[in-house]
Formats: sequence, structure tokens, C-alpha cells
Amino acid sequence: MTSPQQSVVLSVEGLTRDYPGVRAVDDVSFSIQNGHVHCLIGENGAGKSTLVKMLTGALAPTSGAMMVNGAAYTPDSPHAARECGIATLFQELHVVDELNVLENLTLGMERSRFGFLIKSDLEDRVIQTLAAIEPSIDPQARVSSLSVAQKQIIEIARAASSGANVIIMDEPTAALSEREVERLFGVIRRLRESAVTVIYISHKLDEILELGDAVTVLRDGKHIATKPLSDIAGRSELIEMMIGRTVFQDYTPRTTVTDETVLVAKGLTNTLLRDVSFHINKGEIVGFYGLVGAGKTEIARAMFGADEVTGSIMFKGQAIGRSPKEAIAAGIALVPEERRTQGLFIDMTIRENIPVMNLRHMSDKGVFRSSEARTAAVEYVEKLNIATDSIEKHTEKLSGGNQQKVVLAKCLFSKADLLLLDEPTRGVDVGAKAEIYEIIKDLADEGNSVAVFSSELEEVLGICDRVFLLFDGSLEGEIQNGKDVDIAHILNVVTGGFEGAVQ
Amino acid sequence: MSQPSSTSAERIGQFLRNYYIYLVLVGVVVLLSLANIDRFDLFERGNFLSERNIINILRISAPLLTLAGAFTLLMVSGYIDLSVGSAMSLSAVVYAMLAINGVPFLPAFGITMVVGAGLGAFNGFLVVKLKITPVIATLITLSLYKGIALLLVQDGVSAIKSGGGLKMPSWFNSYGREGVLLGLPMAFWIAVAVTIILVVVQKRALLGKYAAATGGNPTAAKLSGINTTKVVFVLYGIVGVTAALAGIARSSFMSLGDPLSGDGMELTAILVVLLGGTAFSGGEGKVLRSFIGALIIMSLTVGMLTLVPAYYQTLVIGGTLLAAAASNHLISRKESAS
Repeated sequence: MTSPQQSVVLSVEGLTRDYPGVRAVDDVSFSIQNGHVHCLIGENGAGKSTLVKMLTGALAPTSGAMMVNGAAYTPDSPHAARECGIATLFQELHVVDELNVLENLTLGMERSRFGFLIKSDLEDRVIQTLAAIEPSIDPQARVSSLSVAQKQIIEIARAASSGANVIIMDEPTAALSEREVERLFGVIRRLRESAVTVIYISHKLDEILELGDAVTVLRDGKHIATKPLSDIAGRSELIEMMIGRTVFQDYTPRTTVTDETVLVAKGLTNTLLRDVSFHINKGEIVGFYGLVGAGKTEIARAMFGADEVTGSIMFKGQAIGRSPKEAIAAGIALVPEERRTQGLFIDMTIRENIPVMNLRHMSDKGVFRSSEARTAAVEYVEKLNIATDSIEKHTEKLSGGNQQKVVLAKCLFSKADLLLLDEPTRGVDVGAKAEIYEIIKDLADEGNSVAVFSSELEEVLGICDRVFLLFDGSLEGEIQNGKDVDIAHILNVVTGGFEGAVQ
Repeated sequence: MSQPSSTSAERIGQFLRNYYIYLVLVGVVVLLSLANIDRFDLFERGNFLSERNIINILRISAPLLTLAGAFTLLMVSGYIDLSVGSAMSLSAVVYAMLAINGVPFLPAFGITMVVGAGLGAFNGFLVVKLKITPVIATLITLSLYKGIALLLVQDGVSAIKSGGGLKMPSWFNSYGREGVLLGLPMAFWIAVAVTIILVVVQKRALLGKYAAATGGNPTAAKLSGINTTKVVFVLYGIVGVTAALAGIARSSFMSLGDPLSGDGMELTAILVVLLGGTAFSGGEGKVLRSFIGALIIMSLTVGMLTLVPAYYQTLVIGGTLLAAAASNHLISRKESAS
């Protein structure tokens, strides 16, 4: 080893990963110093997750190399990565609720004789590690009695005591309260003192400015910069590096927007949302834009009555938000985020999927009029240009874009006046994307209202008349779409810069 | 719950969660002994708590008691074995065949246990190697094992028993009937021994801890380097061995090798384990509580036999389980809410 500030613990060289049709990570090279908190930032889709998956062994690079302490590093599983000293704190927690803290910390590392556990220094060691990073947790407590933040600390302690010298943390503060975030930062600082390197991925720029030693910026899969944070002037410089280009935007103001308010939401609050208020007009397309975990899906689900929420939602003068059944009856339809698991009946045909939301209107005294369903299916397949040779095709066999059109058809056929679209074009190819945007605009032109919940800036700026900006469960700004939207301002707001909304 | 300052209501709740199963057992026994059985002339046993009655219940319970512990560990790991009843029948038939053909006690006992281990291992193979859903895989072996057991019995007779020139040896039913300690037979004490071993395994052995980890959070278990495949395979093997022991106990008690003797055992085993508070989703559960659960079910079954007509029994047992499952659900819901 050379002098401490020179020692590189992990480096990547020309790292590239291709997906069919997309280069998610493109020739990325940078290195991480030992004992640093190294932050990784970029917009949604910049390639952060793909990069992290390669570092943790969940994905193999298409080309390029990774090195740990100067030796080639080619993990083929998270477990192999762990053996090379690289542990990952995933967003979903990997602790066993039914065991106690100590049992979780030693899981998989126990000493035994004839299959029976024996006492070893291991337990003392993990207890010491835990006490060093977070003394308030009782090693004998059952994990099910701990909070999410405490469980996360258990995972960090397990990584640290298993000898990991690099811990990757992917959005670790997403589910934490402010006080818990402070505690986690304390843990991370104590890790740094004991020469553990932390790779920290977050959308929250303030966290990065507070915690980081160095930062790597990715954009469109490419490496933009790796710099010590002491060389960074502030949020604006980070944002500039994250955008670094003019966002392609082809919004043309629509003429069919009216001033007639159809929905008013006041003070929506639950475990994720904080006092969210807004209104939607007839014929309008509104966008809800924010980064992962900002509360988009939660607002959609609250409006649809799928989650409990306090506050009030009035739709055409009628209170809604207590159950999906009520929302559907009032004329609201939701296209959920996960189409395969929440939107489609994947092993049923197109014909069977389309009438699902209004089966009741299509039956006489409980007897289903199947001819009507067939007519509807034929009509929508044609109208939405769904590429299929038959309405009897199982939706499982359709492409992502066509599946999404079936979900849309299902909602359109329910004759809803307000459509909630959660990530309407996720996993959809470019051609189908454009078609879906046209369908959305046509709908609004016909006098319906549409709310688009998206983490793609180009999407909301492409079709929405008004955009609400979300950060950390609260509505931080609202912009009228137009030629002169200030992209830097939007990114500033959604990454936690509270300089007030500009109309 | 790690806070020392818990209110008395919380402490009572905690106590109930930990010990309710023992209270239920005591309650059932008290209720059954209060009923004046003499008035019902069905049996001549007298009081429920009479020595003869207790010994009788424990003797009949031996097969279920033998199975309950291993079945609990399997369910804790998030898996299930619907073929235990058939494995038990097949073992009973094999054991009786060996005995009636002159194989002495110990070799017959050993061979049957090996057969049981094989049956369990085959289930494990289907589930972890061929990746067939546990319910489906063991439903398949349920009919498979029963089919083999039926084939092993000669045409024209219902079970392997004395007759046609062959005679069951005189030692055959002492394992399941003859008192060796406190008037209770070997089969019962083997069930106790198996349970003690499994309680220790659950508390102190890697297998117990890994079973809980596999059932509680399989991804976490795998990421911790635990070979969950092996854990599940071993657990299926152990269930197979206890099914063989249960088959031996049953055939010895009945003095014959009946290919249908284990029918319905899988349901009783599941119910006993659920009664003991093991979660169907895995992770949670205690071997000893299932053992107590088995005693409750058997007390009810035998007690009912003396109190109400036979065809009410199943209904009463179903009702008891419904009550147990509902209270279990309410308790765990409260726990997660607090």
C-alpha cells in the first residue's frame, strides 16, 4: 500500500453494459479511494442502478473491468461480491424478523460442532461492532420489534463485522424519518473512521453535500465526472453536471384545457405523504414529477382510494378516496405502476382483460353479455393500434408497449372521466411511447382529465399542461408547461432545494 | 417490546402469547374431566383423568406426537409435506411385512426407518431439485406412496396380518402397547425422545436456526451464505424418518400393517402445528408447542369419543381449530400493530 490518501480500493475501467436496444452503462471509468464516502448521482435512467448491479455481482458487464485492491474483480453473485469484501445494503431489507439481533448478525457465519452451535469470539466481535456503530440496539431484541432504520443498521453491522471493506448503500434514506437519517449518517461517519469505504447512492443532493468525500456523476450511461466534494461549488454545480444538456421538449400548448375544476385534493397525509394539496381541471393533463420515492405512486393510490390517507379529495363535488370501488363508480381509473402484477390479468386474453373494470354494466341479472366484450375488444385493438393477430391472444405474449395499451384500453372502456397513469411508458419501446402519448392527448381533447405520474422529465414536459414537483412526500412546486420552463429549477426542487416555486 | 417499561396489559398479552397453548391444554383436560363420563354408558373407563384413560390416550397419540416436531421444523422453513400420512402407511406395511416374514425387531425397525428417510428424501428431491411446488410435489407422493402400500398388500386382504400360513410374531405389538415406564409403551417414549432432540435442535443447532432463516427471509438466508436447498432437503428427510417411526408405532398398536392407517395424518399434523402457533408463512414456530397441540387434539378426540356420538367429533375438532386459528390471527395482528 502506498500513502493512505492514494490507496484505491475499487476501480472500474471502460465498464459497459448493454440491454437489448439500450446501452445502460457506456464506457465508465473511475476509482474510489479507501475510507471515503463516495457518492454516485445521476438522473433517473442515468445508469446508476445498472452500475451498482455490476458492482454487487447481480449483473455481468458486457465489457470492461472492475478491480478491488488492484486485483481483478469478477463477482457472479452478491455472495461472491461479499467474499471479496464488498457488501450491499439493498433497498429491500434482508434481515430475518423471526430471529433476534445477534442471530441475524451471525447468520451464515456461525461456528458449530456436530451441527450444534458453539460459543466463539464471533459473538463478542459482532456485539462490539454493533455497539461501536449504534449502541442503542439490544443484541437480544427480536428483529421484528425494531424499526426499519434499526433493521438497516443491523444489516450495516452485519456487513461490517463480516469483514466487508466496501459497503454499497442504494438510497438508504428513502424510508427513514429525519431523525433516523441523522442516526444513519452517524453510523456512516463511524464506518469511515474505521476505514470502511461507503458507496452512497442518493437523489438527495443535500445528503451528498453533507456526507460525501467524493462524487461521481453519471448521465445517459456515461461517466461525466469524479471529483472530491471539496472541489464542488454547491448544488447548482451538481445539477448542472446531472443535466448538462438541453432537455428535448416538444410541448405545444393545448387549446382544450378548461377552467372547470373536477378534482380538489386538500392536505393529503399518510406515512409517506405530507400535506399534499392540488386541483385538476377538466380537459387537462397534469404531471406529477419527482424522483424515486418522492411520493408519486402514493398520491395516485390515495386518489384511487387504494391507500389510507387523511385529508380530503373531492371529485365533481363528491368525496372520494375511501375505496377503489368508489373511485371507479365516480369515474376514475388507475393504470398502475407495475402492469404485469397490478394492471393485467397476464394469463387471460385481450378480450377477457378489456372489460374487467365494467363487468357489472355488461351483464343482465348476473349473465354476462360476451358479444359486447368481443365488440369492445375488437374496437380497442383497432383504436389503440394494439399489435396482435387476434383478440384471443394471451396478454402474456404481447410486448411491453402492447400490454400497456391493453391496460389503457381497460381503463378507457370503463368510460372514466379522470385517468390516473402511473409510469405509463415504463418498459415501453419508443414507437409505442409516442402512440401512448397521442392516446393521452386525444383523451384530454375529448374533455377527460389525465394525471400522469412519472419519473421521466421528458415525459411530463412532453405532454403535461401543468406539472407538480414532488420531493420526499410533499408537493414543493408547480409549473405551467411552456417554452421557457427552467429545467435547472425543476431539478433543484425535486432534489430537495427549497428556493420556492416560480410560476 | 425491548423497552423494560411495558404496561401490565402488555405483560399479560406477552404471557398469553407465550403460554396460551398450555392454558388451552389445561382447559381442555379440566372440561373433559368435569364431565361425568359414567353417565354416558359408552365406555367403562370412568373419569377422564383415570390412569387407564391417560395411558390409553398417550398410547394412541404416539404416532402424532412423533411427527409433530419434525413437521413443525419443516413448516418453520416455509415448506410442507402432504405425503406424511401415506409415508406412514407405507412404513407400517413395510414394517409388518418384515416382521411377519421373520425379520427380528431391531433389523425390521432399522430398515423401516431407512425406507422412511428415503421417502422423505424423495420429497426433498422433487421440491428442491425438480423445483416442484411443495404442495403439488407432496400431493403427488401422497398418492404414490399410498399406491405402493396398497400394492404391497396381497389381493383379497385389507392389511398385512396373521393368516394364510403367516403369523405375526408375539413381540409385534409390545412396542406400541406394553408399558415399559410409568405404564407407557416404548412408542410413546420414542416420541418424547424425538421431541426432546428436536427442541434442542431448534434451540441450539445450526439446522434450527437455518430453518427459521429460510422460512423467515429466504433471500437474506441465501445472501448470508446459507445453503437453503440443503436445509430443506435435510428437513424433508427428517420428516420422512419420523413418519416411519409413526408408522411403526401405529402398526404395532394395531397388530397389523394397514395401507390406509396413515390416511388423514397430513391434515392432523398441519392442524396440530397451526394450533401450536406456527405461521403458515414460515419463520415462526416452536416444536414443543406443536407437541402440546398434539396432546390437545388427541385429548379432544378421545374425550369426544366418550361424550358425544362419533360423527360429531370431526366437527368439534374443526371448531376448536377455527377458534385457535382466529385467536392466533388476532394476537399476531395486535403484535404487528403495536
